[in-house]
Amino acid sequence: MAIQELELKPAIPASPLTGFWNVFRKNRMAVAGLVMLIVIVIAAVFADALAPYNPRSYEGVQAEDIYKPPSAQHWFGTDDAGKDVFSSFIYGARNSLIVGFFAAFISIFIGGTFGIIAGFYGGWVENFLMRFTDTMLVIPDLPLIVIFVALTEPSLWNIILVIGLLGWTTTARIVRSQTLAVKSRKFVLRARAIGAGNWHIIVHHILPLVMPILVVNAILVISLAILSESTLAFLGLSDPLAISWGQMLNFAFGRGAMSVGAWWALVAPGFGIVWVVLALTLLGNGLEQVLNPRLESHHLMRGRLTVQKEAGETPSRSAFVKTPVVLEVQNLSVEYVNEGKPPARAVENVSFQLHEGEMMGLVGESGCGKTTLMMAVNRLLPSAGQIVGGKVLFNGVDMATASDQELADIRWQGISIIFQGAMNALNPVRTVGDQIAEAIRKHLPVESEAALEARVVELLELVGIAAEHKDHYPHQYSGGMRQRAMIAMALSCSPQVVIADEPTTALDVMIQAQILELLDELRRKLGLAVIFVTHDLGVVAEMCDTVLVMYGGVTAEYADVDTIYNAPRHPYTQELLKAFPDLSNPEKRLSSIPGYPPKLDALPAGCRFAPRCPLAFERCKTELPRLHETGNGHIVSCHLVENQ
Amino acid sequence: MNRYRYLLRKIGWSVFTILFVLILNFFLFRILPGDPARALVKDPRMKAEAREALRIRFGLDKPVINCFETLTPLKLGDCRVNPLDTQFFIYIKNLFQGELGVSYKTNRPVADILMERLWNTILLIGAGQILSIVVGVAFGVFAAWKARTAIDYGALITGLVAWSLPTFWLGIILLFWGSNHGFPIGGKATPGASTYPLFFQIGDVARHMVLPTLTYIIVFMGEYMLVMRSSLLDVLAEDYILTAKAKGLSNFQILKDHALKNAMLPIVTIIAINLGFTVAGVIQIESVFSWPGLGGAIFEAVESRDYPVLQGTFLLIAVSVILANLLADLTYSYLDPRVQSE
Repeated sequence: MAIQELELKPAIPASPLTGFWNVFRKNRMAVAGLVMLIVIVIAAVFADALAPYNPRSYEGVQAEDIYKPPSAQHWFGTDDAGKDVFSSFIYGARNSLIVGFFAAFISIFIGGTFGIIAGFYGGWVENFLMRFTDTMLVIPDLPLIVIFVALTEPSLWNIILVIGLLGWTTTARIVRSQTLAVKSRKFVLRARAIGAGNWHIIVHHILPLVMPILVVNAILVISLAILSESTLAFLGLSDPLAISWGQMLNFAFGRGAMSVGAWWALVAPGFGIVWVVLALTLLGNGLEQVLNPRLESHHLMRGRLTVQKEAGETPSRSAFVKTPVVLEVQNLSVEYVNEGKPPARAVENVSFQLHEGEMMGLVGESGCGKTTLMMAVNRLLPSAGQIVGGKVLFNGVDMATASDQELADIRWQGISIIFQGAMNALNPVRTVGDQIAEAIRKHLPVESEAALEARVVELLELVGIAAEHKDHYPHQYSGGMRQRAMIAMALSCSPQVVIADEPTTALDVMIQAQILELLDELRRKLGLAVIFVTHDLGVVAEMCDTVLVMYGGVTAEYADVDTIYNAPRHPYTQELLKAFPDLSNPEKRLSSIPGYPPKLDALPAGCRFAPRCPLAFERCKTELPRLHETGNGHIVSCHLVENQ
Repeated sequence: MNRYRYLLRKIGWSVFTILFVLILNFFLFRILPGDPARALVKDPRMKAEAREALRIRFGLDKPVINCFETLTPLKLGDCRVNPLDTQFFIYIKNLFQGELGVSYKTNRPVADILMERLWNTILLIGAGQILSIVVGVAFGVFAAWKARTAIDYGALITGLVAWSLPTFWLGIILLFWGSNHGFPIGGKATPGASTYPLFFQIGDVARHMVLPTLTYIIVFMGEYMLVMRSSLLDVLAEDYILTAKAKGLSNFQILKDHALKNAMLPIVTIIAINLGFTVAGVIQIESVFSWPGLGGAIFEAVESRDYPVLQGTFLLIAVSVILANLLADLTYSYLDPRVQSE
């Protein structure tokens, strides 16, 4: 019984601090840093008990004790005055940490105040404070600190004050940008709307959100202060009464440790500095990772190899279009590998055929696997994505198992992609013309630079961009122009298949219409096969020949465009159409589907649409429907079709 | 058009910062109590005439600036004195004539001392900076390329450890090791080397540069590596890299033509931001290796409390850093086409 009770405990909602600790302790770097820091803090606090000798007293020191190598009596040997290096080493920790913490406190206080005030009040206050910060940031610290300390007295507190007063610049900048980010959040605006004063907002709403960044920054500032202090001491500017690691190095270096080969007097104090600074650096970097986790995966990481499983049901043969097939997807399934969790099925058992000159609409809400399916077709899945079944046949080559060389050849020349939101799809530091020419150069024989340039101009003019924009950068283009340039680039190697992945999202209606018209015209002129990924059923009705409706990673319905609009069989298609205005019936009430598509790592057991389906019954909740063919290639995955 | 406005704004800003440094440099040495020239002329054991002669020699017979006779201790003065006849104005006038005062220790003009040393520092920084950027960027690219492998983690830890090393200590350790392995123990040239042929002299200086440059590389390489690694990781996750891959480009082509230039941009910024650290590092390296540069001058000036040299060195270093910063800004605007239309 007792065991069971213990196991129940984690179910109690953890406090934020416990939650933080659970993430923190998994970060090896942060834990190592914390442990190293605790060790040195203990040494500093209990220096009187831990140090075997009193480093200030010359009692018992004899002339022959100078620079004696490490022994049982003197673990780290002795220094130029014959004193125990290990004892000085422990006392040195104390002063290093005192200077580090107090100086950092001053810096953080000034930098934090400046940053919050500048970020919060804006206007001339911000302008003045940030200009001042920039000026101080440019002036090199160390020479200035040296001058300050040299002109005053090098006492411990003067050193702390000077390092603290000059070390706040980075903090001010970081805190200001965080304050700016936090200031416009909803709850801050709400607090302001109900009449909370500035001070209240700063203390209760902004400070808590700035704090994590401030803590990470403070750790960095402490380590910089400790490095500054040791450098000053090494340059001979240290409190003569306070033993510090830098001072030990100054004495050893200046008093012949080098020439008599007394390495211990040189190594030990430096080791102390490295220990503290490394501890703080590891802790700071670890905390940064904990507070601000980054997904460290990128497009060049090796993708996972296709795992071929037994094909499921027989691939369907669509008979909507009579031209030859260029692309055939058979029972394709894709998973995303999740560390420590079962893989998420993003696409399951999807099949379709694309014929020459055909335009297929791929529709469904966001998160239904449309983009994953298209990336899988071109083997461009992120490194966590994996094709776990099925084939993608392009002119007889299975893309799912093709070699790198085959892929490189088929990409762009066989299948090209018009990416969505063309801003980031174009490289900001290369001209548009250059990026188009690059694709041509890669795939087609180029006779001369002049011919290549002529071809680029021809492509740009094809999409309605004047030749003089060839040498402009993407940021000099408007949104519509960028999307057109992307289309020109997609057509540059005369591909057989073009995948248009929501090419008009984020553009205004006029531009959308122009781009769609252009795409349709080009398709007819060049005989392209197009897969058109979109939310917009109106566009699909107007332009496409066939429609594939996806839901939760599976095919909901697949048919020619007339069937989809006039005789949809899947409740999801029917609901989608209800949400779409009909010009022939202006009285129609529009309705949206309540709820959201399922999360890929928490798919329902039965039909994936069942939780939102107005027609769902018992069987839908337990059994995933098969793909039913209802004649003329119309595919529906719904139990209702079977019953009829 | 925009580009020129951007340039003008940056240049104007640098001029303002330099003026700020000039003023700071003047008042620091008048407000803080430690300047021995002022201590000397207050020495009661000195005869009145001798004291007056010293006051005139150091220019202390004039008021600091209008309304203030001295600042430490604070003594108000006549506000209607001719501004041209104040210490502040004379300081500015001398600066424009390239006069930075006379060294207490050697009695030579500070400007002459600094000019000799400036080139040595530029030599050391130049070699160290170029090599540490090349090595750091190369390792950073390699680490990002091998992201999330043992190589990557190894590079990360190495970078953090290198960052944590106090520069002067690393210098000492390398010097200790080097002096037992046939390297010179400091300085820029073997005494008497100037009588040998030029070829020999160059080799001699190069031999003296090995350890200081190595220290420089180890200390600064780490940060360039970390910045390059994280910057390249960011760039490689961008949409346009996916576009390049969809175009059928090989990974090497993508890295070379689409990722490296974009990822190098933050390095330019880091070089600018780090100039302060660079100066701190050079002061330490030159002190350890007795390298006759500006950093070494600071070390020696502090040891012998030679304030005119300290003041002049600070001024020269600060102005150089501000100008180098300006140069980095201008380079950045040239490299990144987006800046011009900001």
